Amino acid sequence: MNHLKAWIDEHFKGDPIIWAIVILLSLFSILVVYSATGTLAYKTAGGNTELYLFRHSFLVFLSLFVMWLAHKMPYRKYALYARLFMYLSIPLLIFTYFFGSNINEANRWLTIPVINQAFQPSDLAKLSLIAALAAMLAKRQKNIKDFTGTFLPIILSIGVICALIGMANMSTAILLLMTCLLIMFIGRVPVKHLALVVMIGVMGLTVAVFAGQRGETFWSRIEAFWESKDDDSKIPFQAEQSYIAIATGGITGKGPGNSEQRNSLPHPYSDFIYSIIIEEYGLVGGATVLFLYLALLYRGMRIVVNSNKAFGGLLSAGLSFALVIQALVNMAVAVGLGPITGLPLPLLSMGGTSLVFTGTALGIILSVSRGDHQDEATAPEPSRVSNRLRTA
Amino acid sequence: MNIKRSIVLRVRVVFILVALAACAIPYKIAVVQFKEGEKWIAKAEQVNFQYREVPATRGNIYASDGSLLATSLPFYRVAIDPTIVKESKYKAGIDSLSRFLSAFYKDKSATAYKRMINDARLDKKRYLILNRKQIGYQDMQKMTSWPIFRDGRLGGGVIFEKVEKRYRPFNSLASRTVGFLNEDEYGAGIEYSFNNYLKGKDGKALFQRLAGGVWKPMFDAEDIKPENGYDVYTTLDVNIQDVAETALRRQLTDRDAAFGSVIVMEVKTGHIKAMSNLQRNKSGVGYSESYNYAVGDIGSTEPGSTFKLLSMLALLEENKIRLEEKIETGNGAHRFYNQTMYDAKNGGYGTITIREAFEKSSNVAISKLVDMHFGSSPSKFMAYIDKVGLAEPFNLQLAGEGKPFFKKPGSKTWYGTSLPWISIGYESKLNPIHTLSLYNAVANGGTMMKPIFVQGVGQGNTLVETYKPEIIRKQIASERTIKALQELLEGVVLRGTAKNILNPNYKIAGKTGTAQKIVNGRYVETYYTSFAGYFPADRPKYSMIVVIDSPKGFAAYGGDVSAPVFKEIADRIYALDMELNPINQSKILQAENQGPALPFIKAGKGEELQGIFEELHIQAKAPAAEEWVKTTGDSQKLNLAINETDKPVVPDVSGMPLRDALFILENKGLKVNYNGKGRVIEQSLTPGSQLTPNATINLVLG
Repeated sequence: MNHLKAWIDEHFKGDPIIWAIVILLSLFSILVVYSATGTLAYKTAGGNTELYLFRHSFLVFLSLFVMWLAHKMPYRKYALYARLFMYLSIPLLIFTYFFGSNINEANRWLTIPVINQAFQPSDLAKLSLIAALAAMLAKRQKNIKDFTGTFLPIILSIGVICALIGMANMSTAILLLMTCLLIMFIGRVPVKHLALVVMIGVMGLTVAVFAGQRGETFWSRIEAFWESKDDDSKIPFQAEQSYIAIATGGITGKGPGNSEQRNSLPHPYSDFIYSIIIEEYGLVGGATVLFLYLALLYRGMRIVVNSNKAFGGLLSAGLSFALVIQALVNMAVAVGLGPITGLPLPLLSMGGTSLVFTGTALGIILSVSRGDHQDEATAPEPSRVSNRLRTA
Repeated sequence: MNIKRSIVLRVRVVFILVALAACAIPYKIAVVQFKEGEKWIAKAEQVNFQYREVPATRGNIYASDGSLLATSLPFYRVAIDPTIVKESKYKAGIDSLSRFLSAFYKDKSATAYKRMINDARLDKKRYLILNRKQIGYQDMQKMTSWPIFRDGRLGGGVIFEKVEKRYRPFNSLASRTVGFLNEDEYGAGIEYSFNNYLKGKDGKALFQRLAGGVWKPMFDAEDIKPENGYDVYTTLDVNIQDVAETALRRQLTDRDAAFGSVIVMEVKTGHIKAMSNLQRNKSGVGYSESYNYAVGDIGSTEPGSTFKLLSMLALLEENKIRLEEKIETGNGAHRFYNQTMYDAKNGGYGTITIREAFEKSSNVAISKLVDMHFGSSPSKFMAYIDKVGLAEPFNLQLAGEGKPFFKKPGSKTWYGTSLPWISIGYESKLNPIHTLSLYNAVANGGTMMKPIFVQGVGQGNTLVETYKPEIIRKQIASERTIKALQELLEGVVLRGTAKNILNPNYKIAGKTGTAQKIVNGRYVETYYTSFAGYFPADRPKYSMIVVIDSPKGFAAYGGDVSAPVFKEIADRIYALDMELNPINQSKILQAENQGPALPFIKAGKGEELQGIFEELHIQAKAPAAEEWVKTTGDSQKLNLAINETDKPVVPDVSGMPLRDALFILENKGLKVNYNGKGRVIEQSLTPGSQLTPNATINLVLG
């Protein structure tokens, strides 16, 4: 027993509660996705439901492994990587917009040549932007109120990335922008500057709506959402099916694997997985999942309190908020609090490679939470850090 | 306030805000569950979505010459979801759409259509069948260009529901062999037996159930594309089938018989060239195919005298008899134990040779011989049935094959009289196809072939399954025996019970059969008449069996009823088949010796013409690398000359078929009008004259 504990202590560092929540949600994800892909398996794999079970399980464990790898790495190194990947993601996004594979009438996917695996460059852009933003904010804490030296370079990065993502995927772009605003607020950027960002954001949004691939979809969804408020017949098909799932789930649900709405609800394994969770596990299950995300956010926030360094705190807070806010938005959409976005529920949805990026983000949070990667210097230059802490 | 404290404070504020916002989620869940719960639960029961099968296109069934025996044609039912189209588009298009609909269906005025769609739109009806009439593919394509319809399923709300119909170009021809399949996947014939290949793999699509149990497809495309079924290539020959069916029907009608079957089989391969089963309609008028007596269970019956061939085979193989040996048939009655065997001829045949006994089909003689030589060991006789492969079913490609039935010596039902009666085709059951196979084996020099109906299964040019000729028994008897049996069968036509079908053109070999039928356990005066045989007897190509059940009228024997049908069909096949017909062959040879009148090919594509000439062994060389050529010369000699169509002048298209002429002229930018049929004999613009773009050229074909 002591051996086991020692082994765990040696190999699994960082906040044990975050570890527990992530593992719990991951296992739950396998369970729910298995149930929700019944129809998909029937449709595309000739009824081979195990195909999706194995594929999803593999990706879940892969993402846990990636998380473990990421938490081994001193978090300071991420400042440099973040910036590198942020720059890299710009050409990738442009390339994808023009040449990527088209799924649901938007080019969001890019296939990595050698291993032949499709992934969304926006996942990479999102993660690297938030990490880079934390680094930029931390570095400039002393003169955070400076407009040209601090605010401009930061907002330029955010603007470019958000605009590029927004071309093909409006919801992700808006959510990312909101998350960045929150992180900037936490990072002590003056509120008047943030107001400016909101304005730029609205402008960027307008441009993207008219120029991007998904502008029409975007508006029609928002329109449908508002119209459905007063007129039941205007409720979009997905929303209606989601309501039926929630209503028939009741307080304790129909039980694991007993969903009926998975047959009619589009994307029951990703966009609307929360509806399936409520259908199968009831209000109780839905509330528990919500609680787990808030607990995750709380632990992410605790790291900020315990962290001595601005970079670590902002990195942890930024990534936690990004992840949990996306989760909340997905859940809000599923229960009908917002227009249909098409965002997956992080950690729970069957999402292929985006799971790996979620794993990386959680690994970085854990790396910050370890505390033993701390360093005395204030917001160090990324290059110096990478040289120094090889052995940590 | 230091930096860290400020950051921590801000994080806490944001966290609390987020947590508060998150509370809206369980609140909304509660609202949906409790406040609106009933509404949604009611909706769950009322609206239903289901992944339903989208049927795949069923494969075709082809005859051996490539003619279509059965195919599936798509038809469409046109419906609309009138709530989908946007107001502006609706307003702009509804009037002309209604006019189109009215003009197309011709059942309602444009105003009526408009009102119907308008009402449905106002009532928010999501599904309106515009007309019950099913339309063809071409019409469907045309409709997709109509206003509102042209915006498709998602923009215009138009729904084309595909309904597949099985279509048989030859109507009832071989209908029981081709078979059918009903909705419970039960059926008969090839449609049923090869259903697994024909049906393909159904696709799936999401459907919504609407009031009245109608299922409406939700989206335009299927989630899983259906995979079309394979085509089945049968061995049937439409010409022979037609001949067989016509002859059989005529005889059935003339003799007011209950039912009849004809099977024509190719001797070497076992390919079934025709199989017809006609039964008197329940109404009592006319005949149609409703059961496959030739193959099916119910058609399995006492074969009668055609089975004497096997008795002779056994006797000859055992070396017990010589054909010229005398046998006493007396006054045509012979008592075995407690039962008497009679001959058909009153007063009997007296003392005759065994050969005569077979030719005249003497029951007494055959049964006496068999009883004499096998009476002490009947199993030895029964072993011959197994030796020729008739003891077990053939596992035919068609489902529902009747099982041959023979009593076992020593079993409870085996009486002292069983062997003599079995020897003349009673107390046992066989299908016509089994009996035919035995005759086919004799024709084939002793090799028993399995009857084959389908030679391959595939799609386009690729076959996924080929069925080669299959041997059931390599050699059913010694060559000497087979030779003797062949002589016996020829004798039946030359001198015996089937003298009436003797003809000077070619030789038929065969055996008549007349079995008395059992009704309520007693043999009654109705007969099951048959004739099995093959032709031409000297080099057999086809074997055939004709059975006619319960003919009425005076002469109800196989020789009188079935043999003439055999001959009629054989005559026609003989006339059709050049390979068989020496008279026609000599005419062809004669024509060839006179020197060929060369084919009338005047102009065309050099490569294609060269191919035709090579096939016909005509010496003519196309100038190399020239696309279009002309031919000159008389009926003895052909010359191909370059037809220069590349030059910027009006090309010479005389002698060309319209297809080629159109291609060349339109490539030159000319407008073409034509009159008549055939090849170009006149063109209005002189060849070689100056080309004017967009000029019109008139062609006269003849």
